[in-house]
Amino acid sequence: MAFELQFAPVVADAPILLHGFWLTIKLSVSAICLGGSIGLLAATARSMAPRRYQWPVDLYVELIRNTPFLVQLYIIFFGLPALGIRMSAEYAGLLAMTINLGAYTTEIFRAGIESIHRSQIEAGLSLALTRRQVFQHVVLKPAVARVWPSLVSQFILIMLASSVCSFISVEELSGAAALIQSDTFRSLEVYILVTVLYLLLALAFKIALSFLGRWLLPGAAGRARVTSGGKTGETPRS
Amino acid sequence: MSRKILMVWSVLTGVLLAVSAEAADAQSINDIVKRGTVRIGVNSGAPPFSVVDSKGTPIGYDVDVANLIGKYLGVKVEITPYTTPARIPALEAGKADLVIATLSPTPERARAVMFTMPYSTFQLVVVAPKKSAIKSVANLAGKKVGVSRGTPQEVALTRTAPKDTAYARFDDDSTTMQSLVSHQVDAIAIPETVFKEVLKAQPQTDLEVKFTFFNQFMSMAVRQDAFELRQWLNTTLSYIKQNGELDDISKKWTGNALPPTMPVF
Repeated sequence: MAFELQFAPVVADAPILLHGFWLTIKLSVSAICLGGSIGLLAATARSMAPRRYQWPVDLYVELIRNTPFLVQLYIIFFGLPALGIRMSAEYAGLLAMTINLGAYTTEIFRAGIESIHRSQIEAGLSLALTRRQVFQHVVLKPAVARVWPSLVSQFILIMLASSVCSFISVEELSGAAALIQSDTFRSLEVYILVTVLYLLLALAFKIALSFLGRWLLPGAAGRARVTSGGKTGETPRS
Repeated sequence: MSRKILMVWSVLTGVLLAVSAEAADAQSINDIVKRGTVRIGVNSGAPPFSVVDSKGTPIGYDVDVANLIGKYLGVKVEITPYTTPARIPALEAGKADLVIATLSPTPERARAVMFTMPYSTFQLVVVAPKKSAIKSVANLAGKKVGVSRGTPQEVALTRTAPKDTAYARFDDDSTTMQSLVSHQVDAIAIPETVFKEVLKAQPQTDLEVKFTFFNQFMSMAVRQDAFELRQWLNTTLSYIKQNGELDDISKKWTGNALPPTMPVF
């Protein structure tokens, strides 16, 4: 059966797609800022608290990481109104994305914090820095710089997960695609276009966030690379 | 060691690809009969036309019609539920030979698939809480109305409702119903049959039908080049309309017989 790609009907609906694209960007950036902050606060709170008081963060992280995002989204959008808390679909989506991202970034920050060797902390304390100063400058800054690539990848994942919000009637990029597809029945064309848009958005986020990392935390993490040249003086491997 | 890992990986990938390769699309009756099964797509959440029972098997009006068609074809019936926006793409992609999925024949859809004559009918209604003052389409101005994507009620509503009505689009009728139950929208547009199911499940609900805004007929759909299959389906539909088998299914699931003046084409 001869199959031709017809992009014209899809391009005619381009404003819907662009509106959805913009909504995806807004949702993702907001969720990244809020979720990232929540993660940093939670990881800090857990690190600095005595062991007996670490369980609230542990509970939060385990609850969110071990349940599907769609289920969390449905509970917030369809379940909370039963308790009297009603919010628009967009805010429900943002809340779900923020809570979800917060849990994952808490663990990423923890990995960074725990990678700082005790000798660093002892060195800081022996220089008469307060506990808080040690945590901020000796532990947190290098920790965040070390896990920045991991954070960037988690941020991009939550941007892609925003497509799940289309299930609660948010007309972000995937919702717009479903709308256009149900109008024109050009499913392959619409989804090719949307794939390209998501790809471009993810690359843009990656570049922007990498620059942000290098600007915020210059030189705080090493840039080790394993090469088989003679630079580090090691025996080249065959 | 790494070569062994590579070998295992490529064998697994090869097996996975081979297993997931699908049979070619059946374009004619003979292909279907030779294959021994007919793949029919139904709607995933449209009571009473198709729902999934407690064991996970699809049941309903459309499912009964599908089984009847399979009986007349003389092959096994493989029924797969699809969400409303996925019905036509599943047909176009060859995942289903035909869809009996509460699809109504509209000119836009007829550009992508071929429709048989209608086999069932339902009313499209607007449902809202009892204390809501919505009485007609004009009252929807400024309200938020929930509707399922890619459905005739979405098309009919967006054409007739006032310009400043806000729409919340969901993927199927059950989610749309849920959005009204959780008061996330002011009203919803759904088939009357879906609402009757809700009334059966929750008779004490504070929701009621406000008005009917569309009468909808539903057809089966096949791919655009499956002329033979469509002609056979039309012949069979005409036959089971005459001998009352289609009426029996309609009475079983909706309590009404089929109207005597359904379009024929």
